[in-house]
Amino acid sequence: MADQVTGRILLNPWRLSPRWRIGIGAVIVAITYGGLISAKPDSVHGGVGGPAALLALCGYTLGAMLIVSGAVAGLPTTTVALLPVAITINIVMGKIVYFSGLPLQLDSIGTVLVGVLAGPAAGAATGALASIVVGMTITPGALPYAVTAALIGFIAGTLARAGWFRRLPTALLAGGVIGVAAGIVSAPITAFVFGNAGGTVGQSAVIATFQAYGNSMLKAASLQGLVADPLDKALTVALALTLLAGLPSGYVHRFPFVQKHRVLAVHRLMPRRT
Amino acid sequence: MDISPHATDDSPVHRLNPLTKLTFAVTVTVSAFALTMTWWPLLLFCATVLPLVIISGTLRKFVPMLLALWVPVALTVYLIQGFFYPDTHRVVAEIGPLELKYEGLVFATQTALRLLALMGGFFLLLLTTQPGALMSAMTQRGMSPKTVYVVSAALQIAPALTTRAQGILHAQQARGLPVTGLRGRVRALVPMAGPLILGALTEVGDRAVAMETRGFGTTRRPTYLTEVPDTATQRVARTVMGLCALAAVVTNVLGVLR
Repeated sequence: MADQVTGRILLNPWRLSPRWRIGIGAVIVAITYGGLISAKPDSVHGGVGGPAALLALCGYTLGAMLIVSGAVAGLPTTTVALLPVAITINIVMGKIVYFSGLPLQLDSIGTVLVGVLAGPAAGAATGALASIVVGMTITPGALPYAVTAALIGFIAGTLARAGWFRRLPTALLAGGVIGVAAGIVSAPITAFVFGNAGGTVGQSAVIATFQAYGNSMLKAASLQGLVADPLDKALTVALALTLLAGLPSGYVHRFPFVQKHRVLAVHRLMPRRT
Repeated sequence: MDISPHATDDSPVHRLNPLTKLTFAVTVTVSAFALTMTWWPLLLFCATVLPLVIISGTLRKFVPMLLALWVPVALTVYLIQGFFYPDTHRVVAEIGPLELKYEGLVFATQTALRLLALMGGFFLLLLTTQPGALMSAMTQRGMSPKTVYVVSAALQIAPALTTRAQGILHAQQARGLPVTGLRGRVRALVPMAGPLILGALTEVGDRAVAMETRGFGTTRRPTYLTEVPDTATQRVARTVMGLCALAAVVTNVLGVLR
């Protein structure tokens, strides 16, 4: 019985309202990142990765769980039905690009798509749950990155609300912003949990180069993220917009978020002349 | 494309409650990362993960899957950290202009072994558990039905899409699209992926209507069709594992403070 109670508490944190859960989750992630930056675990020899890796794993996982539980609670059924499809798009594209060996990821097209169509909370849920699905099926190595994926969806949704996705240049810029955030937040995981070796061959080569020039591990991982991720996410946004352009306008109309905040350019919401 | 390795065999490990195996994987991971002895994760892997894999009879699937993912990561971490680990002093060997460093090798060993424990623990869960069973167990523990739906549906959607992809491929071939040879295959990607993805997305609306008419999204807690078996022993085991993980974390924190 006692264990049952702990299970409930873990999964349904203190019956907080969804907004609070997202907020607390985000704060935990921020504190984790701040702690990792300020502790500068690189300079200590001996059990180097240990505390930092553990902090990164635990803090990010807890934060992601809270964010997901809060974000999913408020979603309407149309959005819930959209998420599995978006996750599948993520997985399929991610797999194709991974096997091509390019220093790209492109594994968040579906996340960006949902962020644009259904808002920040839905985007965050898509990203984090996609990481969990990949972790459950393809590689457990995706699990620690759930926070990054959630952040990508969240920022995509927030910028969509601000109208960045109405025109192509601002949309690509939004991709850049998403990339910077993703690169920074995922760096501690890459550096401390995976010893800078988690990604594709191309990514590892870039990181190795940065380390060879005397950067610390976290710095090298962050720099690699800052170099590669904005480009990667700009391309992701472009592909997501291509998909959106292919969808019938009535379909896009069905999402209240798109209507309310005029997320996409006006001509997208008019019936097409044929 | 089947993305999920199916857990169809039967063994004492298969019959365990999925939550027990999940707790086990998490505990192994946390303990592997918490203690700073270099060879500790390997000991942990050999003493806890391997015996369970052998009991479950999935060793033949487990070893190739684990090696396929772990060996590349391990090699990369040895290459990067062996040569380029920051602030190093002891040089073990010189290969051309590169210096192999002792501290880097220690760090690489530790990281690689920790990842071995992490991957081993979760692969055991994966190979011996139906994702559906894990999701039912999570629902019974109070996880939101929406989350459970998203994960389960994402797991099931890939095989359905494979079937659809075959259909689209045949349709495009009937219209004269060449799909033989490497160039043909690459060219066929857009006319293949377009209808596939757009079709899957447009179906979402209908599915949402169907789900709503079946009472999805009610605030009331649903009852369960299948009860996932659980025993008192497993409940105790989960608590003990949780305490072990906690103890490992406390040891780590004390080590940092000291």
